Amino acid sequence: MKRNTLVLGITLFVLAGFAWAGWANWEYRKQAADKVMAATMPPELVIGGDDGPPSPLLNKPAPNFTLEDIHGNKVSLADYKGKAVLINFWATWCAPCKLETPWLVELRNKYAPQGFEILGISAEGDDLKDDDKDGWAKDKAAINKFVQQMKMPYPVLINGDSISKDYGGLDAMPSSFFVDKNGVVVATQTGLTSQSEIAAKIEKSLGAGK
Amino acid sequence: MKFAKYAALVVCMVPVVNCGQSPLLEKLGGPATKAEAVRYLYPEQVVVAAGKTTDVALHFRIADGMHINSHTPKYDFLIPTALSFPASSGVALDAANYPTGTEFVLPADPSTKLNVYSGEFTINARITAEPGNHLVQAKLRYQACDQTQCMPPKTINVAMDIVAR
Repeated sequence: MKRNTLVLGITLFVLAGFAWAGWANWEYRKQAADKVMAATMPPELVIGGDDGPPSPLLNKPAPNFTLEDIHGNKVSLADYKGKAVLINFWATWCAPCKLETPWLVELRNKYAPQGFEILGISAEGDDLKDDDKDGWAKDKAAINKFVQQMKMPYPVLINGDSISKDYGGLDAMPSSFFVDKNGVVVATQTGLTSQSEIAAKIEKSLGAGK
Repeated sequence: MKFAKYAALVVCMVPVVNCGQSPLLEKLGGPATKAEAVRYLYPEQVVVAAGKTTDVALHFRIADGMHINSHTPKYDFLIPTALSFPASSGVALDAANYPTGTEFVLPADPSTKLNVYSGEFTINARITAEPGNHLVQAKLRYQACDQTQCMPPKTINVAMDIVAR
């Protein structure tokens, strides 16, 4: 009887040890998994707004670019030297962009007399193949339709995907970069926020409140 | 003595190392090499009668906090979710029966109602396979958003081993 009690005690002790080891192992792997998740989750799965990490372009000169507008004219960021510019990347398939654009139209008309302009850049980010002529034609038609519907009074440039690398990859739309009169990015924004927040960033780019 | 043997047997059966599926894989919803907004879950293998139409339920999962347009979004500017099979795969997609989406409203604009999928969803694919073993890379095209932003449209592989006898 004593022997059985001893064996039972040892067995329970060993089982408890295994249970603890199993729990500790699970916790360790859970923490490791969380670290891996944090390191490997693509930026596209991170909620936007101003909660994300600051853009690497912040407080740096805005990368120059030359793109065609919807009429085929070449437009460069450098053409707007001395003006505060909001570079707004959008896409026709993006519902938040559709909500944001009327705000931008209104803000552009309000601040234009102070030396402000918006460059709307369509970045469809489409995974269409280069030889998919029908697909690309549909994209272009959708851009023109969007511009007409929204009555966008500012230059609308196409093929923003070609400069996406310079602007951090453009993993999400809408993405905006607020450039001051010296050509420096003073604020950025990913995702839909509010008209007042955009206005505040435009004022910052104009140097208001300095 | 017998008790000691049983005790030893019980101890040996305790799973120490295998504590279930990895937490990382649990979060991602199954084995995968890269996190995507949409992941194909299963089946990996399907056995069908050669030359006969068969319905196969394909299961997908959308990342937490994200949604994708349904196959029939409410506005023509939105990109619908669509399944396709490559033409020369030995398996024909005769029809795809998509689930009905749920209504989704952007917080910034309650008047705009979207029709989306979120969480897990299933597409019932009606297929006909030629005799043989077919490693098919079907495609799912979708466009995902969260409440404030949208990701570019994407096409993912839907890999299946279709055995037609």
